[in-house]
Amino acid sequence: MELKEALTIIISGLVGSCAFSLVFRVRKSRIFWSTLGGGLVCVVYVICVNRFNHEFFQNLFPALLGAVYSETMARVTKSPNTTFLACSIIPLVPGGRLYYTMYYFIVGEMEMFIEALKQTARIAAGLAVGIIVISVFVHIVNHRKFKQIYDIE
Amino acid sequence: MGAGAVLSLAMDLGKSMVKCGAEMNRVEETIIRVCYAYGMNRVEVFSIISMMTVTAFDEEGNDYTQSRRIYAYSNNLGRLEQLNALSRSICAEKPDVAEAQKKLEKINSAEKRFRLSACFGNALAAAAFAIFFGGSWRDALAAVPIAVMIYLMNSFIKARGMNRLFFTAVCSALSGFFAIMFVRLGLADNADMIMIGDIMLIIPGLMLINSMREMLCGDVMSGLMRFLESIIVALAIACGFAVPILLMKGV
Repeated sequence: MELKEALTIIISGLVGSCAFSLVFRVRKSRIFWSTLGGGLVCVVYVICVNRFNHEFFQNLFPALLGAVYSETMARVTKSPNTTFLACSIIPLVPGGRLYYTMYYFIVGEMEMFIEALKQTARIAAGLAVGIIVISVFVHIVNHRKFKQIYDIE
Repeated sequence: MGAGAVLSLAMDLGKSMVKCGAEMNRVEETIIRVCYAYGMNRVEVFSIISMMTVTAFDEEGNDYTQSRRIYAYSNNLGRLEQLNALSRSICAEKPDVAEAQKKLEKINSAEKRFRLSACFGNALAAAAFAIFFGGSWRDALAAVPIAVMIYLMNSFIKARGMNRLFFTAVCSALSGFFAIMFVRLGLADNADMIMIGDIMLIIPGLMLINSMREMLCGDVMSGLMRFLESIIVALAIACGFAVPILLMKGV
């Protein structure tokens, strides 16, 4: 990937994260941090695109980073982790692939449709696994503490 | 201090959180914490996205049950954070129930229908993602009016209780139509990039991830409901975009 292309992705991803902070109505004091998360995710994404050929790994590592970042920020600011996760992970959502999947289906090019569908699935899988590994782990730890305090099954 | 009022407060808080897009775990934990903070002995919560019921037992062993029905929810992370802070302060300070209820109402009512910042965010997001996925500057500019249109439809039409799927399909169809028109008129280069930028605004990506997370955290029912809904919304988007693409013969 050329430098110009990489910079375009990082900057537009950063702006996109910031814009989605406004769409999701994140509080003003948090917008900087949610945008920063989006920027970090994009940087790692660009690195991973250059390193790996498979879409799964291209999206897994940025998603892992985004999830760790947002869990940390949630701890620091004592706010729900969705505040940071939603905005920083947005650039990885496979909007483009999904569009082409739909497009090929509509115009009836079945082979291209299957190929695009596979790509979308791989991206989505990488993204989901990255986020879920972290958040399920955090949930297990938190919930255990919670169960002990409130004595529920 | 009535136990019924406590339960009512806890559930209204929970309902508001679901409506802002909170995960079910967080909601159930909040309800349990608030009920315990006001001296309930045992709390049983069952909630799926559209419905929740709670039974709480006070110290004398009387039981109270209430339920809430939830019709629509969206992402409002700022309000979710305020609600979260409110639940923390309730548990720490245990204020008067009526006072806490008033605070909750204040958070819920602080909502204008049209917000310039959210509208600007929509426009900026569509433009940024048109470029992110490989479009040109002109594509990004063309995505802006469509994104504003989506936001206006969202805040003025959908808020009036229009069916969500129908709304999504109409919204997608109009976006696709305008995107192709912009290219036909020579104002932009790639209709697909404009559409992708605008799809990012209506795509239920966050919901899909939340659904997976819920299923793996043990909330299979909520997760499945969210999962199915996001798939159905995605299909509605596809149906919507199919109309202009087929009618106007390709991009």
